Amino acid sequence: MQRIHCGIVPPHLLTRLAALQDPRLSGASSAARHALLELDPVLRERSEALRAPVRRGSAIAGSLTRRIHDAGGREELPGEVVRAEGAPATGDVAADEAYDGLGSTYRLFSEEYGRSSIDGAGKRLDATVHYGSNYDNAFWDGERMVFGDGDGEIFGRFTASLTVISHELTHGFTQYSTNLEYQGQSGALNESLSDVFGVLVEQRDLGQDAASAAWLVGAGIFTPSVRGEALRSLKAPGTAYDDDVLGKDPQPATMADYVETTSDNGGVHINSGIPNHAFYLAATALGGEAWTGVGRVWYDAVLSGTIPPDCDFPTFAQATQDAAGRRFGVDSREAGAVAEAWTRVGVLR
Amino acid sequence: MRIEITRSGGFGGITRTWSLEVSRTEAEQRWLPLAEAEAGAATDARRADAGRADATGPLVDRAQTASGAGPGEAAAPASRTPERGPGQQRDRFTYRISIGYTEVTVSEGRLDESWRELIERARAEGTDGAGHGPP
Repeated sequence: MQRIHCGIVPPHLLTRLAALQDPRLSGASSAARHALLELDPVLRERSEALRAPVRRGSAIAGSLTRRIHDAGGREELPGEVVRAEGAPATGDVAADEAYDGLGSTYRLFSEEYGRSSIDGAGKRLDATVHYGSNYDNAFWDGERMVFGDGDGEIFGRFTASLTVISHELTHGFTQYSTNLEYQGQSGALNESLSDVFGVLVEQRDLGQDAASAAWLVGAGIFTPSVRGEALRSLKAPGTAYDDDVLGKDPQPATMADYVETTSDNGGVHINSGIPNHAFYLAATALGGEAWTGVGRVWYDAVLSGTIPPDCDFPTFAQATQDAAGRRFGVDSREAGAVAEAWTRVGVLR
Repeated sequence: MRIEITRSGGFGGITRTWSLEVSRTEAEQRWLPLAEAEAGAATDARRADAGRADATGPLVDRAQTASGAGPGEAAAPASRTPERGPGQQRDRFTYRISIGYTEVTVSEGRLDESWRELIERARAEGTDGAGHGPP
């Protein structure tokens, strides 16, 4: 009754095999790529992105293509195009913030990690602003980022923080790489990757090192009536806000405070505090530009082919340790800082 | 009869609760049948998901199997479809709606006009229980 495309080899293993560069295993690698081709068009893109040579810097400059739409206060997508790539500023703050934020996010992945857009193949970046009326959210719908204007009482417009824009676009990167399932620990890792690369985009734009960065997600989107500086803090999960109406930031920083819940897809926006804090600890232990050190390690881990869609925290932690060892050496400061960070948050012993 | 609406998820992950009182007649004629229909649809979707999960894992469009087609028929076209639609949505809200002892969970993308009206009423008229983290 069911179609089983690739026998017993799970897709994540096929993806890993497809990415192998070892000439002695070229047969297996080629077979895996062939199997992926039959499996799913997105997996196919993923497999091609993995074996593509890494392109760097100016070699891919100019392939950034953005398109900003305006939903005009309705909950309908995509809305009307208000700014295409290269067009001058519209004068609409949200549309221009979205345009600029997509550019900043694209440049981190392109200029630092050599990736051409979220899919590794130059995909156009689409966003819609002014979605809905008093709409208190920003989301990724599988193809585009969508931003509400907020209700004006608790939330202002969601494009006001670059980290919100970069967070949403990173959901696209995750969709085209590990495709972490949006439930439980894998869902919290999906969220955490968006927070981590979200803050790295901002730190790189501002030229902040790990010690001077704010490590906040969504700073500036609350109205002044809310007691809180942001939605999440990687530096101190659980402290971003404490307000009469909203309650207190529920994020844990360590496994000792892991929250079991059926809400929020099993707490994907809550337990993300744990891998978020591990990243912060490793980045600040090393110092300097977080996007070139631990950020590079996290990026390598995501593309290593060792992260299954249902990845749990320990598996992800091991993947980052392995990635740090490959890039910087197993006895490097980087590998040590990553291992120490995961131990301190209680994920590894 | 008391109706309580809890919204979780969203970019902020902030849980909020609103409630309102409706007459027993309104609840029985309007909202309870809607909740039961929703619970049935959710079960169908879960069955379809479970059937397909063995074949291709989560890498296909969940929307296609929620239409009531059996898992076998649904799996074939879905498996060639790029992963788009509700299954790939991130940072959206989830609503849990309790009507008396009946409880139903509806994702934001599946809310129809009736549920939207109820939520609007609860937000406008009802009390806002502060979201002190997840329940």
